[in-house]
Amino acid sequence: MTFREKLESGKFVITAEAGPPKGTDISEMVHHIELLRGKVDAINITDNQSAVMRMNSLSGCVICLQYGVEPVLQMTCRDRNRIGLQSDLLGAYALGIRNVLCMTGDHVSAGDHKDAKPVYDIESVGLLRVVSGLNEGKDMMGNALKGKTDFFIGAVVTPEANPLEPQLMKFEKKIKAGARFFQTQAVYDMERLKEFMRFARQYPVKIIAGLVVLKSAGMANFLNTNVPGIRVPQELIDELKAAGKEKALDTGLNITARHIRQIYEEKICDGVHIMAIGMEDKVPVILERAGLI
Amino acid sequence: MIITKKKDFQELYENIKGYKSFFLLGCSECATLCGTGGEPELKEMKEALESLGREVTGTFVAKTGCQVLGTKVELKPFKEAIDKAECIIVLSCGAGTQTAVELYEDKPVYPANDSMFLGNMTRLQMFDERCSLCGKCILDKTGGICPLTTCPKGLLHGPCGGMKDGHCEVSPELQCAWVRIYERMKRLNKLDELRNLMMEPKEWSQSQKPRRQYEKKEKTKK
Ligand code: SF4
Ligand code: SF4
Repeated sequence: MTFREKLESGKFVITAEAGPPKGTDISEMVHHIELLRGKVDAINITDNQSAVMRMNSLSGCVICLQYGVEPVLQMTCRDRNRIGLQSDLLGAYALGIRNVLCMTGDHVSAGDHKDAKPVYDIESVGLLRVVSGLNEGKDMMGNALKGKTDFFIGAVVTPEANPLEPQLMKFEKKIKAGARFFQTQAVYDMERLKEFMRFARQYPVKIIAGLVVLKSAGMANFLNTNVPGIRVPQELIDELKAAGKEKALDTGLNITARHIRQIYEEKICDGVHIMAIGMEDKVPVILERAGLI
Repeated sequence: MIITKKKDFQELYENIKGYKSFFLLGCSECATLCGTGGEPELKEMKEALESLGREVTGTFVAKTGCQVLGTKVELKPFKEAIDKAECIIVLSCGAGTQTAVELYEDKPVYPANDSMFLGNMTRLQMFDERCSLCGKCILDKTGGICPLTTCPKGLLHGPCGGMKDGHCEVSPELQCAWVRIYERMKRLNKLDELRNLMMEPKEWSQSQKPRRQYEKKEKTKK
């Protein structure tokens, strides 16, 4: 069953993430893909994440397909104008990519090419509309395509955004623009996630909860102060502290596994997306502890 | 107004060190308000050049340096001083500099300033960019706050995931444009309008360079 079929038939999905290399040596990415093969339903391939220049997401997706895992093409609007975006989307479809996650993309000032010209010709909502159009066989200008796409269209949402209301407005616009599934920014507070889901469940879209493993109390504090839209509750920070330095990572893995279990058992969301950020090799352990493999 | 800042004098000097005599041209509008092209700055430049053994044949603050015809008329009485100068230095924006280029085809003209943006002066010589002259104004839809300019990504439908406690991903000193728009529309009781708005992709063809506006001439032609 494909990622889309699974989600649309109400089955719980598990996805993970892989970043293309900075360079042409794909051995590490391939290693991660192979580790995850058979354990996840799809792998997101990031698009010059944090505006740091790397191999493009499209090539990463093709490599992912070659190694037998279904990819989700992350597409940001930072580096390409509407012509470039549409043309890459057509190419992606022809190469067998079926899932696309539309994002605006981190600003160039966050990355390693700070003098680059940020494009943002269109942005996430605009891109969602473009992909919807390509699925109907039309480009942005309404010109007919010779062969249309049939992408499963995704977007991102930040349930812990502060203030939240403008973010929820944008969430609704993304749905109107054609988003069928959402991945959330990393969530840590299951009660607040449930609250967000009460709102989200009004709409016929699938929601996949984003999870990032906490390696230490220090990392949790760092996320709270520095990363927009992430809020790690104090209890979890205390739990990591109590575990001590040596056991912190193990405790972090347990926390993620526990959250996955809870999201699965209580059907809070339609799936989970594990962003391992450098700990891709730990994903199988997390899934085992969550009892999902 | 057009916001300018002075170029580093050394950078300017590298360009002009081969010349012996100069005419200095300022502007009484934006450059004067920015403190980059009024009487005091002309005087300062004159002194700097003279201290390096150069001659300044004359100085003038044009009324509106980007107004080509008006500036041409104003500069008539300075013909001799300008003829005598090997080079003209313009202390205004890039438009004012190019007025001089148009008027003095045979003379080298150098800019003393960097031109930065169309700005609002919020306090004395403190400027913020609020409009980037996109060619098709959408302020009517966004509560009068321009997301194309005040959001570094120019977003059209709401805040990005980088917004933190109402501040912008790009700089915590900036308020998120979309939080501001949302709050303002809420205050004006227009949230439904904002929620229902699906903005069309921006028509960048409207700001294709170089832009021209010849309405009057076109009208009289008809
Ligand atoms: S939309 Fe913004 S940039 Fe465009 S004209 Fe209006 S204020 Fe200026
Ligand atoms: S935080 Fe707000 S102002 Fe800054 S880039 Fe994102 S949407 Fe634009």
